[in-house]
Amino acid sequence: MSIMTDVGEIFSAVASNDAWMIRESLQSNAAWYLGTVVALLGGLALAAMYRALPFVERHLERTIMVVAYLAVALIIFWGVIDRFVFSSQLPWSTTIPPLLFMIMAWFGATYNVALRTHLSFSEFRSRMPRAGQFACLMLDAVLWFVFSVIVMVTTARAAALSASNFQIVLGTDNTLQWWFLITAPIAFLLMAARTFQNLFEDIANWRSGRPLIKQAVIGGDV
Amino acid sequence: MTDGTIITLISLGVTFLFMLGVPVFLVIAYWVIGCSFVLNLTLDNLGAELLNVFNKGFALLAMPLFILTGDLINKSGIARRLSDFAYACLGWLRGGLAMASLGACGLFAAISGSNSATTATIGSMLHPEMVKGGYDERFSAATAAAGGTVGIIIPPSIIFIVYGFLMNLPISDLFVAGILPGALMVIGMQFACWIICRMNGWGYLIPLQLNRVLKTAFGAWLGFFAIGLVLWGIYTGKFSPTEAAGVTVGFCIIAGLLSWVVSRMFRLDGTKPWNEKSYLSMLVVEGFTIPEIPGIVMRSAQITGILAPLIAISVVMQQILSLLGAQEVIGDFLTSMGGYYPVLFTAMLIVFFSGMILESLPVTIILAPILAPIAASVGVDPVHFSVIFLVGASIGFITPPYGLNLYVASGVTGVPYFRLLKYTVPYLIALISVWVLVSLVPDLALALLPNR
Repeated sequence: MSIMTDVGEIFSAVASNDAWMIRESLQSNAAWYLGTVVALLGGLALAAMYRALPFVERHLERTIMVVAYLAVALIIFWGVIDRFVFSSQLPWSTTIPPLLFMIMAWFGATYNVALRTHLSFSEFRSRMPRAGQFACLMLDAVLWFVFSVIVMVTTARAAALSASNFQIVLGTDNTLQWWFLITAPIAFLLMAARTFQNLFEDIANWRSGRPLIKQAVIGGDV
Repeated sequence: MTDGTIITLISLGVTFLFMLGVPVFLVIAYWVIGCSFVLNLTLDNLGAELLNVFNKGFALLAMPLFILTGDLINKSGIARRLSDFAYACLGWLRGGLAMASLGACGLFAAISGSNSATTATIGSMLHPEMVKGGYDERFSAATAAAGGTVGIIIPPSIIFIVYGFLMNLPISDLFVAGILPGALMVIGMQFACWIICRMNGWGYLIPLQLNRVLKTAFGAWLGFFAIGLVLWGIYTGKFSPTEAAGVTVGFCIIAGLLSWVVSRMFRLDGTKPWNEKSYLSMLVVEGFTIPEIPGIVMRSAQITGILAPLIAISVVMQQILSLLGAQEVIGDFLTSMGGYYPVLFTAMLIVFFSGMILESLPVTIILAPILAPIAASVGVDPVHFSVIFLVGASIGFITPPYGLNLYVASGVTGVPYFRLLKYTVPYLIALISVWVLVSLVPDLALALLPNR
């Protein structure tokens, strides 16, 4: 019963839009239960959306990664030109790029879950019988999902902490850090969705007798 | 059950997951989660660190930018020009194309900073030509894999950036320290390659022509300029490594876009052989268009999306290892070995064996903070040790079971992983010889650093 009350408190804190209340409410264990439900339902909903809208499925993480990457490169390149040519430098040119890098890294991690290109030692797995391969793929799905939930909850707490402290990005007047940090739990929600997407694909392959493990090529599907 | 026993069981459990093919990132993550429970650490630490790792250092940003540089020089055609130049210089020797492939890896590594990008680019470019030129396809794939190891030693280097970031050492000093050992690694591997090719009679010889060398050197001027820009900026202190990476990315984008415009404007045919091109037309590479840029960036972003999370989770793992007292345990073990050389060689063995089962980034992040202070305590210069450590870590790229370059080379050449293992042995011998030499002669790392 108290878990339900704590979940209710999280909802009311979010509805009140008060960062301190959100931070306090997320500290309870209810955050784990709510995080699991959000990852489960949100992941399934997003996986369904990917199925219905292939354009979004193909371009969502890619667009975020490319925009963040180019922004990092442009800010740093311009920072050098600014210093050498105009003898000045934007005060945030060294503080915003690391935050953009963080966004790129976690959306990149999600994208690599979709492509199954995270580094692994797959020599034994690829030589296993079909049932063994399927079991390994199910294990992957469980491990990715549980990890997504853990990081979604803990990074949401870190973002709420930052928001409640009104942490400002150094070198800026009013850019709050949590605007960037909140992208991490979102990236892990997308990771949960990619996990479901892979899971459904594996089950379909298992049922239809298609090969379960394909050679993943880094940089191949871009 | 004691905490030690539970942590041992967790370690065995995640090793089992690794053998089952679970991604390395998850393997480390679950070790961290398991140990956090045993040590009564809140998991909030994990979330906070996964965010903070990126905010802590501007220096780490050089990593994605140098990866992008590699993809830009590949797509623009600059990498091809560098390999043409290497072939013009070495094609007259038996095994010249394979040696040129290693030389091209060295040149490519001097602009990019990634081992896998080096292997993938040079492997996909020169493997078909090597097979056509009479080389064994397994040897050709092994050459690309081995050549990629210098990607992280010849500056700029992703791993030097991570090492400097972790150990609070000037990254520019580390870059300079990597120049001679990186060059020695290339020469050592070329020597091994020459012996193997002579023994097997592989490869066709082309005459050494001054005109060809000059023309291809002229054609590779953009590559040389980029190398010079990186080295000059870092060596003179004009740019930080991150800024050097940003400037190189900017230069490569501008050069690529302008080259495309100029080559279309003057109808220059990039596919013509060198002897049918004028010196003037050699000045321009194929280049790329603005709509092609997102595709190039996407490729780099995908690689960054693999490596950056691995760095973040490895940093958390290192923190847990510190809490577990791993530093003291390994420190006591190493100090019991005796003086300078026993400590150094034992540390090298630890790096070597860790490199066989782990990716070089986790090896660096986990072991460097443990081994470097111990090495410093017996009088090993920190910059010298960084080079010794990272040359050892780079050898891990071609040692089974977990040799990343072997996977990349297998992926781009189509030669199965296990079939190319045998052909990496001569390169391994060469690399280990260079490694021992670098560890015995500190000047190889420190000679170019005036303040050391």
